[in-house]
Amino acid sequence: VKRLLGVALGILTAIGGFVDIGDLVTNAVVGSRFGLSLVWVVLVGVIGICVFANMSGRVAAASGRATFEVIRERLGPRAGLANLSASFLINLMTVTAEIGGIALALQLASSVNYLLWIPLAAVAVWLVIWRVKFSIMENVTGLLGLTLIVFAVALFLLKPDWGNLASQAIPAVPAAETGATYWYFAIALFGAAMTPYEVFFFSSGAVEEGWKIKDLIQSRINVLVGFPLGGLLSVAIAACAAVVLLPAGIAVTSLSQVILPVAAGAGKLGLAVVLLGLVAATFGAALETTLSSGYTLAQFFGWSWGKFRKPAEAARFHLAMIICLLVGIAVLATGVDPVLVTEYSVVFSAVALPLTYLPILIVANDPQYMGKHVNGRGVNVVAMVYLVVILVASLAAIPLMIVTGAGA
Amino acid sequence: MKSPRPLPPVPPVAGQTLDAQLHLLDRQVLDSDGVPVTTVDDLELGAAEGAPDLGPEIPVGTPAPVLTALLTGPVLGTRIFGGRPPSSRLIRIPWTDVASVGVVVRLGVSGQGLDADWVERWIRDKIIARIPGSGGRRDPR
Repeated sequence: VKRLLGVALGILTAIGGFVDIGDLVTNAVVGSRFGLSLVWVVLVGVIGICVFANMSGRVAAASGRATFEVIRERLGPRAGLANLSASFLINLMTVTAEIGGIALALQLASSVNYLLWIPLAAVAVWLVIWRVKFSIMENVTGLLGLTLIVFAVALFLLKPDWGNLASQAIPAVPAAETGATYWYFAIALFGAAMTPYEVFFFSSGAVEEGWKIKDLIQSRINVLVGFPLGGLLSVAIAACAAVVLLPAGIAVTSLSQVILPVAAGAGKLGLAVVLLGLVAATFGAALETTLSSGYTLAQFFGWSWGKFRKPAEAARFHLAMIICLLVGIAVLATGVDPVLVTEYSVVFSAVALPLTYLPILIVANDPQYMGKHVNGRGVNVVAMVYLVVILVASLAAIPLMIVTGAGA
Repeated sequence: MKSPRPLPPVPPVAGQTLDAQLHLLDRQVLDSDGVPVTTVDDLELGAAEGAPDLGPEIPVGTPAPVLTALLTGPVLGTRIFGGRPPSSRLIRIPWTDVASVGVVVRLGVSGQGLDADWVERWIRDKIIARIPGSGGRRDPR
């Protein structure tokens, strides 16, 4: 029974932890402008993150080595440093977006300006990282994030024309949009679903929790059930926007518009629940991204890291995260719109995808690291197909950003 | 396609053969307690015991150089961007401290006393341990 409970808990936290500010904003924007015509991208992205998260978890369990140690060892110092710079900067951008997201969600709940919430949010994130046990941190934020299921509930309460909604799900460029914007948002959605920090966090989390090979079955169930259900949640967010905002001609530019359909469908109670969900999801993601920035730096330079150690036993790791949070506060203090930061961060995530996923694939085939747990042929075929998709998305992202004026 | 000229065969040696690039460089270094110390940023080669210090000309028949130390610290910068720090500035982990080489390089000594760990210790003592709850000062005075 205890084992079953563990599996259930793992799945639930995987669902709750899947959605972050990037998924929330991007799905709502896409839903409000393209209806469900980009829903296939979420499907493609979810399968991809399942394949690679699973692989990085297996590498961590089999060798005890987390992703960025592997990247440095395989790519050497030069390419490794270039990779670190790109991954770290994009991750820092995501940290900033998530903290801004917490502040915006608290603003919606309290009517106190979000700029006042930013320092508080950052300090709260730091305190949790400083003191709270890894497993408690993961489970609490994951379970609270589950309240975002209210998006799915609201969708039913809105009583949409299901036939019409389903017919939208066919990939097609809506009349009001151009092909370039369609593909730009396809890449943004793909980047939001496959954000590299999830892989850094997943593999480092495996080391934090001391996974062994026998724990892999449970982690596989968590990933293969939890992430697709999390993806379904993303689709529900997009569908809500498609039902309420698309006919009204409202293109999402703020977090209040993201939750508007929930208020319309599920009323005040729904609004209260979705606000809780927003805070939990962004807070959880802020923890994960902040930790990821510490993980990437520490693993590249070989510092002592991990929440399983006391802060004094991983001094550089903790100092690095404090500095990252301060930088995030400083960027947000300029008054830059966190929603805009989010929109850019998911596209840049898409640009950086090959940097993370190629080294993992190489090491997952290395018998010195993996012993007999090297990739099977089937996994390799799927992973290679994804590598091509990732590469195309990565190369096309910046040109499309320029052509479309960042999707305007 | 032109096939490369075959290399002369490696002379037979006793024991395990390590490829510096493949098995040593950029590997994680753990101390005797399993705590990460650093990553192998570079290697130092020295003349074999008994061999004279060499100039730019290496006479035929000189014994092969031996690995004397793992290097860390600023040497990573020069390895990436070129150049060479003076020998006195290198932070060394003597090869004699290395206990085993696998997916990671394990040391037979504790990292606490190593030069390679001084930045970590400095940041711990000057910054992190002063923040309440770091677990760094078991004996607060």
